[in-house]
Amino acid sequence: MSDSGVYKFIRGRLPRPCAIHASAARALAFLLVLTGALSLSAADQPIAYSHKKHIAMGLQCIDCHSMADIGPAATIPSVAKCMLCHATFGTDKPEVKKIAEYAAKGREIPWQRVYGFEKQALVKFNHAPHVRAKVECATCHGDMTQADTAQKLVNHNMGTCLTCHRQKGASQDCATCHY
Amino acid sequence: MAHRWGMAIDLDRCTGCEACVVACHAENNIPISTPEQAATGRTTHWLRVDRYYEGDFPDVKVKYMPVLCQQCDEAPCEPVCPTYATYHNPEGLNVQVYNRCVGTFYCANNCPYTVRYFNWFDPVWPEPMQLQHNPDVAVRMAGVMEKCTFCIQRIKRGKDESAASGQELADGDIQPACVQGCPAEAMVFGDLNDPESKVSRMAESSRATRLLEELGTKPKVFYLERGR
Repeated sequence: MSDSGVYKFIRGRLPRPCAIHASAARALAFLLVLTGALSLSAADQPIAYSHKKHIAMGLQCIDCHSMADIGPAATIPSVAKCMLCHATFGTDKPEVKKIAEYAAKGREIPWQRVYGFEKQALVKFNHAPHVRAKVECATCHGDMTQADTAQKLVNHNMGTCLTCHRQKGASQDCATCHY
Repeated sequence: MAHRWGMAIDLDRCTGCEACVVACHAENNIPISTPEQAATGRTTHWLRVDRYYEGDFPDVKVKYMPVLCQQCDEAPCEPVCPTYATYHNPEGLNVQVYNRCVGTFYCANNCPYTVRYFNWFDPVWPEPMQLQHNPDVAVRMAGVMEKCTFCIQRIKRGKDESAASGQELADGDIQPACVQGCPAEAMVFGDLNDPESKVSRMAESSRATRLLEELGTKPKVFYLERGR
């Protein structure tokens, strides 16, 4: 292909203004869908679970998210743990009946995860050192005592992590989290 | 005192069995290279066993030498990286940050030990081996450089367990996969800042040498020469 041929080829490919608008609109629509997918609403959870009610009864975060102080993941409790109390408490409520159904079938409740790093972030987060450093659960997860739904109250990005790491004098080495 | 991780490899003990290579692949989610990739020079082995032949047939002696990232104190790969994707961390490890790497290849070109490997494509494993990935190690994507990390995930875990139990890290508590897998115990890993550690004592042996030491890279992997 001669030089002018290349030029023509490129010129022919230039998008017209209206085409740019269309692609921008598509990108915007895609972004809207994406943000919609990221912010889970109460309707996405299989059971309308209220953190507020349970914490008001005196439960601590660690009672259900029992691995937070010893492992990398805080973990979502199994249906068996729900049934420890709900075998006797509130058995007439419709949402509690749903739990009993899952338990009777021997199936786990398909909770939707609310927090978590994107796969491509390559972050290896570990709860235990944070609990040992006496970081309050609310620092990263917001005030769940007032939350009726399981949803993301605090947005996590590298800035939020590093701000705290700087303040507390924790390691700022890349390999602390990314490896 | 801060740690300074290092390794010593006793070449008298190495039989070239490549158990370290297998252990490294399993631990660090390294894809299994195909003959086609080998033909185009695109294999990935964070740890390889070099062979050297001495003498003529039938009086041949084979020398084996496991070669991994030497975690140089004066690492030639570091100053050439335009994105600071490879740098020295406070524990003397030469760290590769995959998120930062844009794949310029400068580091691999500048590495005298040729222990850096590039992901030309997204890695694939023969079924069902993709199910046995180590969750503590990233699966690297296409377009980034990678290399031996001294099993940084095991170092992190060892330090985390020591912090949780309140007991100080003892020599030998942390073992990279290759060290753990070596049946001849030819490889030893430990803290070079601790003069009592096994690796420090081996590094001071009269047999101890370092690979291409004359380049001034100050590697932290010590090879104990074969006895004569």
